[in-house]
Amino acid sequence: MKPGSFLWFVAHDLRQQWRSLEGLFGGLSRGKVALMVGAATLALHGIAYPAALWLNASAAAGGAAPPAYLASGVLFVLPWIIAQSMTAATRALYARGDLDLVLAAPVSARAVLAARAFAIATDGVASAAILLLPLANMNVVLGHWRWLALYPVLAATGLFGSGLGIALALALFAAVGPRRARLASQIAATLIGACFVLGLQVLSMLPASLRTALLAALAPPTALALNDVRALLWLPALAAGGDILALVLWTLVGFAAFCAAALAFGNRFAAAAALSAGASSGRTSERRSRSFRANLGATLRAKERRLLVRDPWLMSQIALQIIYTLPVSVILWRNGGVTGSADVAFTPSIVVIAAQLSGSLAWIALSGEDAPEFLATAPVTRGEVERRKIEAIALPVFALLALPLAGLALASPRSALLAALFAIGAGVSTALLNLWRQAPARRALVLRRHSQSKLVGLVEHLLSILWAVGAVIAIVGSWTAIAPIAMAGGVLWLNRPRETRPAPRSAMRRAT
Amino acid sequence: MRATDPSPPALKLAGLAKSFAGKPALADLNLEVRAGEFYALLGPNGAGKTTTLRIVAGLLQPDKGEIEVFGVDARRRPIDAKRIVAWLPDEPMLYDKLDPLEYLEFVAGLWGVEPKRAQALAEDLLETLGLWEHRRERCEGFSRGMKQKVALAGALVHEPKLLMLDEPLTGLDAAVARQVKDLLVARVKAGATIILTTHILEVAERLADRIGIIQRGRLIAEGTLEDLREAAGARLGGSEASLEDLFLDLTKPGAPSAAERAA
Repeated sequence: MKPGSFLWFVAHDLRQQWRSLEGLFGGLSRGKVALMVGAATLALHGIAYPAALWLNASAAAGGAAPPAYLASGVLFVLPWIIAQSMTAATRALYARGDLDLVLAAPVSARAVLAARAFAIATDGVASAAILLLPLANMNVVLGHWRWLALYPVLAATGLFGSGLGIALALALFAAVGPRRARLASQIAATLIGACFVLGLQVLSMLPASLRTALLAALAPPTALALNDVRALLWLPALAAGGDILALVLWTLVGFAAFCAAALAFGNRFAAAAALSAGASSGRTSERRSRSFRANLGATLRAKERRLLVRDPWLMSQIALQIIYTLPVSVILWRNGGVTGSADVAFTPSIVVIAAQLSGSLAWIALSGEDAPEFLATAPVTRGEVERRKIEAIALPVFALLALPLAGLALASPRSALLAALFAIGAGVSTALLNLWRQAPARRALVLRRHSQSKLVGLVEHLLSILWAVGAVIAIVGSWTAIAPIAMAGGVLWLNRPRETRPAPRSAMRRAT
Repeated sequence: MRATDPSPPALKLAGLAKSFAGKPALADLNLEVRAGEFYALLGPNGAGKTTTLRIVAGLLQPDKGEIEVFGVDARRRPIDAKRIVAWLPDEPMLYDKLDPLEYLEFVAGLWGVEPKRAQALAEDLLETLGLWEHRRERCEGFSRGMKQKVALAGALVHEPKLLMLDEPLTGLDAAVARQVKDLLVARVKAGATIILTTHILEVAERLADRIGIIQRGRLIAEGTLEDLREAAGARLGGSEASLEDLFLDLTKPGAPSAAERAA
């Protein structure tokens, strides 16, 4: 591999990613890591199997045709990848990292951007692949060979999405300038990522006749015809369905979009990086001069809240998370829910949002501490600091949930009370999980890592599902709601801190 | 101060030992810094200077040994010891998204400084350090020198009795370095005790009341510049020797140990 070439940079990036992945697993041996990854893969396939059976059964029963659900799958995954790429490209411009070193070296900016773009694409594809590929594999096991098409389609979608995402990010940068590009791109990425979900909401609000007409006009065709614009627009869906011509075309399109973006924008990326270096981050508001707070708790909480609010990336990620939770309630609501009432439809999503929100905020506040050593030198116990951090995140969680809870209370006060109780339980349990499973690092690093360790993320999902199921059962009025609560308690108990807390990072550092 | 002794030393380390992965970083370190003293801790790279300061700040637990800060046993009453100590590491510990004034408010809150007093002190420090115009800008855009100054203001805003600085002048331009040195001297005049590590020997020579030199986790020489010159004796030309000469002589491989010199 020639130093400074595209492949050389890709290898460099891959090694960095591998090392940070190793870091996530701490001191575990390679064998153990392989064992855990293998077990997780098997578990995902186990979950995918009934889903594959259900898809096949519903297709056989003349339910939703494969193109329809493949189309919605594409509509879900593609905007997600584009949004993630936009965010990642913008972050690469501002977070810098090794960008100054690399761009100061006598290497082609195109190779640098192409390698970055490739890393961005792999990241986006990986998060979709974890869920989709087990489904494809299980369908293949059931004898549906066409599902193998998902592999190349996902890769092409990743290339296409990251190419487009980078182009959009740089276009925004040129349009609004380095000072505002960061925030603008976060907002745009959130909107793009959520466009499918938002579209669903708009659609459900339209009158029935208009909705049917619109859906018919937009419905994906069953086969590719080169003279049909609609078919070309649905190219990725048709390719995912196993149409060979569509598959070849879509792979070519994805590859071309990626290469075009890398070639065309390499120099522009370098120029933007140079510009963003000098961009000041703006002043904190020139408020009326306020006096210092008297109380230790208030001081600690104020600091956490300021840090949360001043992170546009964090805010947009949380907004995205909430928006993605909504379709569950929309689908439940449109189908009349389990009992045909709105409260059963909304309660679980309130509970899930509470769990996710409190988990994300607790994770960022507890694990992303910029000055852990400084806090350690303060005459305050670690427990006190952690307690205040959790208090600081409780307020925004309540504030965000107050409106839906109030709406629910209008429909049914009893359900609202139950929803509030289960939301508190869910929020407390995910906050505790993140308290007990901290992975301390600088906040910028924690944010760049996208999410908690995958394991904690999975446990968090499990907890939120258990609480949501419990909430539904409780609203229906059955005492069996105790069962999921007990299971959530059990899951938490398994994650309780062991006798020794993780040593502060400082102990690891060989000091002089 | 809840001192048992009428005038306890600012810092007393007795038999301090610490190993990392079996390699000793500190081996039976004994050190005493008097109250109101400007003490410079010198030593070659890896001698154990930073480890010593981190242990006193409560960031590392020693394997054995005693630590007393103004008579407070720092191992048994860490919170009480931390209340009167400030530690300023070579890499400033700041929050990118806070502005200097907010940072100082946060620090003052942690140390429980009375708000009115903290605010007056904070504003005063920002003025003195030339950060006043930047008090409403986030620290992420600051240069290294500015960040270092914000961190220094943070260390001073709770008026510690013992201030420990690790390489406080690294990477600062001459003007900022002068500001920092003046501020430190003023603090000592006002009654604070300062311990500072540095590789810039001229700083130790000019500012410090006493100098301690450690090597391989042990104190190998200590005293005023004159004391050190005397100890080196005629070998280095007596009173003509610079601190650099003394330092290199004392820390060179095969140099006589403190015990040998005493004999």
